[in-house]
This record gives sequence, structure tokens and C-alpha cells, in this order.
Amino acid sequence: MSLLTDNLYEAGDDVAVVQRAPEPGGATGFYRAFGETLRGLKTTLGRFVEGPVTIQYPEEKTPVYPRFRGRHKLHKFEDTDLEKCVGCSLCAAACPADCIRVVAADNDPDNPTSAGERYAAVYEINLARCIFCGYCEVACPFDAITLGHDYELSDYNRSDLIFTKDMLLAEPIERTPLRREGE
Amino acid sequence: MNDDVKRDEATARAGDVADQSGKSSVGETVRPGEDNVVTDQAAVAIEEPRLQYQSPFTVVDALPPGYTKKPAGEPERKIISFTIDGAEVRAPEGIMLVDAAKYGGVEIPVFCYEPKLGAPVGACRMCLVEIEGIPKLQTACSTPVRDGMAVITKSPRVIEAQNGVVEFILLNHPLDCPVCDKGGECPLQDISYGWGSGKSRTTEPKRHFEKPVALSDGIAIDRERCILCYRCVRFSQEVSEDYQLVLLDRGAGAHVGTFDGSQYIAPFSGNVIELCPVGALTSRAYRFRARPWDIEQGGSVCTLCPAQCNVSYTVRDDKVMRTLARDNNAVDDGWLCDKGRFAYQAWESEARITTPLVRQGDKLLPARWDHALDVAAAALKKSGERTAALAGGATTNEEAWLLRRLMLEGLNSPHIDSRRGGKLSLDVARTLTQPALTVSVPDIEWADAVLVLDSEPVDDMPILDLRLRKGVRRNGMKLAIATPRPSSLDANTALVARYAPGYAGAFAQAVQAELDGSGDVDDYAARAGADAADVRAVAALLKGAERPVILWSERMLYTTAGAAPAQALCNIADRLGVGEREGAGLMQIPIQANGRGLREVGFLPNIGPGLTDGQPGRTGMSSDEIAAALGSDISALITVNVDPIVEYPNGRTWAAALAKAPTVIAFSTWLDPATALHADVVFPAEVGPEKEGTVTHPDGRIQRLRQTVERAGEVNAGWWVVGELAKRLGLDLGVKIANQATAQIAAGVPIYEGITTTEIGGTGVRWQERGAASNLPAPDATTFLLEAPPAAPQPNGRLRLGDFKSLWSGGEVVNAATLRALASGPRRVELSPVDGHRLGVASGDTVTLKTESGELSALVALRDAVPAGAAFLMTDERDGNEALRAALAGAPELIEVVK
Repeated sequence: MSLLTDNLYEAGDDVAVVQRAPEPGGATGFYRAFGETLRGLKTTLGRFVEGPVTIQYPEEKTPVYPRFRGRHKLHKFEDTDLEKCVGCSLCAAACPADCIRVVAADNDPDNPTSAGERYAAVYEINLARCIFCGYCEVACPFDAITLGHDYELSDYNRSDLIFTKDMLLAEPIERTPLRREGE
Repeated sequence: MNDDVKRDEATARAGDVADQSGKSSVGETVRPGEDNVVTDQAAVAIEEPRLQYQSPFTVVDALPPGYTKKPAGEPERKIISFTIDGAEVRAPEGIMLVDAAKYGGVEIPVFCYEPKLGAPVGACRMCLVEIEGIPKLQTACSTPVRDGMAVITKSPRVIEAQNGVVEFILLNHPLDCPVCDKGGECPLQDISYGWGSGKSRTTEPKRHFEKPVALSDGIAIDRERCILCYRCVRFSQEVSEDYQLVLLDRGAGAHVGTFDGSQYIAPFSGNVIELCPVGALTSRAYRFRARPWDIEQGGSVCTLCPAQCNVSYTVRDDKVMRTLARDNNAVDDGWLCDKGRFAYQAWESEARITTPLVRQGDKLLPARWDHALDVAAAALKKSGERTAALAGGATTNEEAWLLRRLMLEGLNSPHIDSRRGGKLSLDVARTLTQPALTVSVPDIEWADAVLVLDSEPVDDMPILDLRLRKGVRRNGMKLAIATPRPSSLDANTALVARYAPGYAGAFAQAVQAELDGSGDVDDYAARAGADAADVRAVAALLKGAERPVILWSERMLYTTAGAAPAQALCNIADRLGVGEREGAGLMQIPIQANGRGLREVGFLPNIGPGLTDGQPGRTGMSSDEIAAALGSDISALITVNVDPIVEYPNGRTWAAALAKAPTVIAFSTWLDPATALHADVVFPAEVGPEKEGTVTHPDGRIQRLRQTVERAGEVNAGWWVVGELAKRLGLDLGVKIANQATAQIAAGVPIYEGITTTEIGGTGVRWQERGAASNLPAPDATTFLLEAPPAAPQPNGRLRLGDFKSLWSGGEVVNAATLRALASGPRRVELSPVDGHRLGVASGDTVTLKTESGELSALVALRDAVPAGAAFLMTDERDGNEALRAALAGAPELIEVVK
């Protein structure tokens, strides 16, 4: 560009300006051929020393945030071991995906299942339909249902994705780790 | 589902009424100051479009559901105009402000107000409004609207009062909505959201009661939730008049219950469940079964008795969960008896037949449909012309029509009957069917004199009982009861007449004699075993009335007097001139639920569809004749929803006849004696919510049954089974869906001409009010010359025998968990205390009853109101009791009671 600005040639002249590099030497040539590669390798080797960051799923689980909305859990009172759910069906009413089915029944006062007059004889959530919005949790007047942290919900059969009350009441076999503060 | 359709139709009809009357739509309210003509086009363009919702309430002369015209006796109401929240609204004068406000599209919240319960009480104070010129707030439910009234419902004063009332009502309400059965369909929830402040200031503990307490087998009461609105108490005291529910104690301790703490057992008790505006009274059978968002409602008609109440089945997961009343003021006034309400439980019981059965040896074994149909068709083919058919109960018009075609066209046999005695003469049938002589149910309510002849409404047609009580209590009806057995309506009557059991015809002839002097009243009364003074009083009451109505039981036609009782009724109708009077007339109370429909589609041996002449020279046998000919001239019998052994008066004859019959094919829901002992092929019959078709109400209203749930087990539609049988006999009935049978009826029954399910709609249509009614052939004679009636036998130490059948009988009662306890326990005989003293027996004693043909034992029940010299035996057993049938063989009139 400097040649043009230096006005050695008039604009419009039929001249082609060719810039040539100096003739390559030994070390300079090597550098020019592999320099950028080495710079890249430096980053690579640097991370190599840091150790792996990939999570070895499924041997290792991705931790989730505390407010992550995963598979539902039904709860019991810790002291009496009675189910908190009274089968009021409000979760089913709130569910936008229509994936909850509740059939209530009369609670036997001598051998109660829940703490109320009624209990959920059938409580099913079709997790193939659930959109994990958490409305059921919001609707529940007894904090009986919460969305847990489990996200491993794939299965070979659609009908296996209908979770029954016993499955929802049971503790998950493996706990999903939570993310630590600031992670 | 159907309710939507119904609502659309109601709206459409309300619109039609407005159009026809040429009045401007009253729904559009005129706002003072807003009535300027809009001149600025731009202003019109930017004005936001308003939703134009036309509520059916806003048409001033809209009729209640089911009504096509105002009953003759109902007084006219002037239309006045008043102001509500600044808008001028027109409404009928004298109606309560709550209702009048609806004409202006204003909703005033209420708990205790329910027009069906009669006069308002103003108990809940929820409906407070401000009325100009009155310093204090007024209850809109008990203030009649007057011309020029100015009402404000949204002022700060009213809102503060409404908030206050909601807060007061919730003071002791437990707010246990999540466990409460009413949650989701609860007026208290709705009103708390709509008109409450949303906050509670209460910190004190709430009132506590034991809960839930069983008020009866059907009803649970939760007294904590009760807001003391009095609805249930008013129903018990003023509508069903069983006087059982009362409000006990005072202040915070006030609660609803029966006075002595016993169970609330009454034929209509279940209605309080629907009336309760909170979850205090709930159905124990429906307890916790479903939430409003889990269910669908399907409208249909209950076919357990001739009242044919409109019902709405609550369905969840293809199962009926409960039965609710469906408002059709022209049929049931929005009430339902407990049998209709809880019978759905029986339909899921084990006792119901749900597969075809074929007899092998002495056992009925389940069979495949193909096999059962083949066996039945082969037997029918063999018997051909020697086949007879009986239909009864809830058989629809369509089933009867198709079966009639199968018999006449497929088998060339005219032996079909839906009655239980001899043949009915064509003239009598036509006279009694004349549209001018038939009253509608609303007409009964507004009649000024009603005679109930030979019927106990609460057992024969329960909902009529409430209608009569309403007429007496609110519309000044004078009621006369003429029955042999004391009636539960006796206390409401202007006069009560008793006669010898089975001599209603003689009584009717005595009344006729008093009206026209056609005989000696004293002699006729003596022949009827009645008091001549009673006969004269009945005649005077009917004669003095402007709109006399006679309700008579079909049972009158099955006595030794033959057709005379019916002819006497025709004569009385003629003498009273009911044909020319609006709102006056007769109504037959049939024994079977669709008795009228079966006869009108021509399921009779001698009468064609629509009471046309029968086929010339092809008169079939009546049921009595069939019984006599079974085994000889008749070799195969089809029974549809009828068990002649139990239901027909001559059960023993039938038991013997059926034993001789080579083939009996039964369509049945239960294994009744005739089915269990004698049927060779049994087809399972559909029940209420599974059925599609039409039925005809005793007042001529054609109503539609609609299927709401899948048929149980392997049950198939009745019309399909008849069609398949016909197919195997080489006859194509041309029915692939139920509606095609309805279309055949519309084409084949002249008085039903052109009727469609659309026209029938949700509330039915009376054929007398359609143009096709003129197709009813005119009778040759409408009055009849009668001989002196037969005389009732003199007891001479024995007792006159009458029978009765309680409402609580039948498979629907014994197989429903809620009703089972009501099922009429051990057989009892009712005696007067006079006879009890003479015979030395007391209530609860077991006595032996002797007739010429047999004897049986029964428990004594002494009733003060039973006339001396008569004994009434309960005969509603379906267990095929041989001793009972033997004792009643030959219809004995006298009985000996031995301790």
C-alpha cells in the first residue's frame, strides 16, 4: 500500500505490485510451518495437566440446581408415617398436560393411610406426558407432592413411564447430586 | 354432553318465544344517558366490541325447562320495569329480586334461596341489596320486585355487607375443601371467591362436631361444614313433607338432624344432597369417588317407574358414579326419588345378567352370542305362528316396535301384549287417549281439584306425590284420595274415600251416578264397599271445580269388572266436560315404566300403532289368553323386561303355563323366577344409562334415552338382538343404529308421525301438542251405557284382601348397597287395630293367612288408618314364593287371618 501512497506510479498506470517475503531460512522456516500448531498445542497440553472436566455419565451423574424440576415425589409425615396426600385431585386439576390420575377412597380410621378423611387409592403420573411445569406442586394444599431432582426417566416401554403411588413414595435408588454453591 | 345440547335448545326456544310474541328482546337493557344516537362514525369504529351473551334468563316470558305453554291455572303476571345498578330492566311483577336481577344480567349471590322449595326464608343474608327509599339493606331473595323499584347491588355499603356475611359464614366453616366432596362444585367456594373479602380475621378456634355422621345409608352429614341455610330442613318439611329433618339446638351449637337421632329414611331423602350448597350433606355412595373435573355428565331418562324423571348420570372411567336430577319442570320439577338416585349401584352388581344364557338340562349356562341367537331363532322358526311375546318395564318404543315387526312380519303371529289382563276395547282406549282428555303434568299442579283413584302415587309414580303436595301447599289444589288402602297423601287431602279393594270401578260408577243420575248412588256405593257420603263429596268436588283432574291407576282395568271401570271414567270425563276445559282431564298411571309407549306403538293384540284398527281378522291373544294357550296353541314365548310370574296378578297360572311352554326366550336384567326357572334362552337386557331409544311418559311426552356408558359385560342393545333374530328368520328389519328404529316409528305410528330425536331434544315433546295428534282415530263412542257394578263380597268374619307393592322392590333395590336395607323385608299384612283386637294379634305377630287355594304366613302391621274389615298384603317379592302365589291364585277377595 505504501508504494501507492508514495506516488511512485500514477494511478491508472498498468502496473502490478507484488510483495515478496524474504527467502526462508532454517529456524524461521520451521517456525513459520509449525508455530501456530505449537500455540494450539500449548493450550491443549495446559488443559491436559488440569485433568478431565467431562462427566462420566452414566457412571457419574450431572449435579442439578436445587430448584431443578425432575421426577415427582410423594411425601409422608416423618413422625406418623402417614401419607401427606389426601387424594384431593387438585394436582390433577392444575395439570396442563393432564398426566395425573387420582382415585380417592375413604380412609379407614382404624388403619389410616393418610392424615385426612380420604386418601389416594390410586395416584398415577404419566411421565411420558408430564412437562415438569411444577403446577402440581403449587396446587397441593398439603405439600404432599414435590418435583424431585431425578431426571433419568427413559425406559423401553411407554407404560413403564406411568409412575404409581408406590413408585412415587419410594426413595430413589440413587440420589441425584446437587450443584454446590457457586458451581 | 347432553346438557350443552339442552342449553342450546333452551336458548333457541327462548329466542323463538320472543320472536313469536313480537316483543323486543328484553335482554337489552336501556341505560339512561347512553341512549343517544351515535353520530360520530369514528367513535363507532374505535369502540371496543362487546361480547353479546344472551342469557336465557333475560327473556321475560321464558318458560321453565320442559314447558311449551303456561299451565291453564297459573295466574298471569304483569310485566313491570325497575332499575338495577342504573339499568332499566323489565321483569314479571312479584317475582323475587334475585330472579328479577337475572333479567338484567345481574347476579346476586344466594345460599338459602331455592325457588323449588317454596317461599323464601332469608336465612343466609347473602343476598343483601340496597333499595332506594328503604334505609336498611334488604334481602333480595325475599323482596318481591315492584314497578319503579331502584335496586343497587354494587355500592360500597352492599359490598361491605356481602364481605361481612361471607366472613360470618366462614367463621365456623372448617375450610377442609381438599377432603370435602363438594370441592369444585361448591357454591360456598364460588361465592367466597366472588363476593368475599379474601381475608379472615378469625383467630379463635372453630366449632367442632363429630364428623362425618351417617344420616342414613345414603347420606353423610358433616355438621361442621353446615352454614344453617335451612334448605334441607325446608325440603323435608315443605316439599316431601316427611317432617324428619329439623334444626336442633341454638346458636353455635345449632345443627341439622332428625329429632330423635334416628336415620333419615324417606322416599325422596337423596334430594337434600343436591340441595346442600356446601359439603354438609354428601352422598355416601359417591363419597370421594370423583372430582368435578374428573367426570362427564350424561343426560337421560330414568325408566324404573312411569314417572320417567329426567336424570343426569355422572360418569367417570366409563362407570356411572352417581345420578343427579336433571331439571325438567314438565316432568319431575327437578326432584328424584331415592330409587332412581341409587339404583345405578345395582347395575354393577354380580346379580345382573351380562352374558347370554342358554339352558342345558336344568341349568342356564353362559353362551356365545352367535350360539344363543341361533338357538333362539331355531326355536322361533319351529314355532312360527304359534309364538307369543310380552313386553313391559323399561322396554323402549323402539324395542317394542321392532319386536312387533318381528312377530307380525317374521313369524306371522299377532299374539303380542303389553297389558296383564284381557283385551282393551278400541273405543275405550281411543277415548282415554284423546288429547283433550289428557292432562299434562304441569296442569296437575295447577288443577283446582284432583281425584287420585286406586293409586298410591309414592309407590306407583313417586315424583307425582311431590307434585300433588306442591299443588295442595302452594296452589290451593283440593285433593281427593279414593283408595282402598290408606295413602301417604291422606293428610293433605280435602277428602278421603275408602272402598273395598278391587272395587275402584264400582266407586267410579257411583261417582258417575251422582253426576248424572244414571244409577242409585247409595246402592252403587254399597256395592263398592264405600260410604255414599264420600261418593257424593267426591262428585261435588269434581263438579264444582274449574279444572278437575282424575289420576287413575291402570290396575283398575284388571278386575272382574272388565272394561266397566274405564268406561265409567270416560263417562265421568264426559259429564264433567273436561274435554272443553283447558287444564282439566285424566291421566292413567301405568303399572309399567313405559306402559303408555308400548301401547301407543301398537304392542297390543287387537290394536295397531297409534291406536289404529288392528289387522282385520288377525286379532291376537291377550296375555291372559296366551297363558291359557301356552303349551298347546302357543309353543314359544318371548318376554321382554317382564316376569309374568312375579308381576302379573295371576302369577300361579303363569308359573304353571311357563312350565308347559316348550320355548321361553327372555330379555332380562335379573334372574327373576320366570327367567331362572323357565327360560331356555336369556338375552341380557340393557339398563338405564346403557340404553338408546325413546319412551313415552303417562302424559304423552315422548322422551329420549341416551347412552352414557358402555354396556356391561357382553350386553348388546335390545334393538340389535331383535334385528339379529329377525335376520336369522329371513327378515331384514333395516336397523343398524337405534335412530333408524325411531325413524321407523316416526313413519309407522300415525300419532308420532315425523318425530325426530332432534325434536324430542333434552326435555321431550308431548305428541298431543304436535300436528300429528290429529291422526288419532276418533272413537265410535265416547260414553258408554253401564250396568250396575258387581258388589264387593261381605266379609262375614273374614277380611277383604287387598295387596300393595312398595316402591322399595325389584332387582334395582335389593342389589343396590344403599337401598338394600329399605327393601321391603319379610312379608307383612296390614290390619286395622279393630281387627287386630278382635283377632288378638299385635304388630309384629306372625299370623297365618288362609284363602280357598292356599295359606301363607305374614307379619302383622297394625295401622290406624286401615279401614276395619280389610287386610293388605305386601306382594312384591321376586324370590318366586310358591306359597304366596298359591294363596293368591284365582284372585281371592276374602282372606281369613288366624293367629
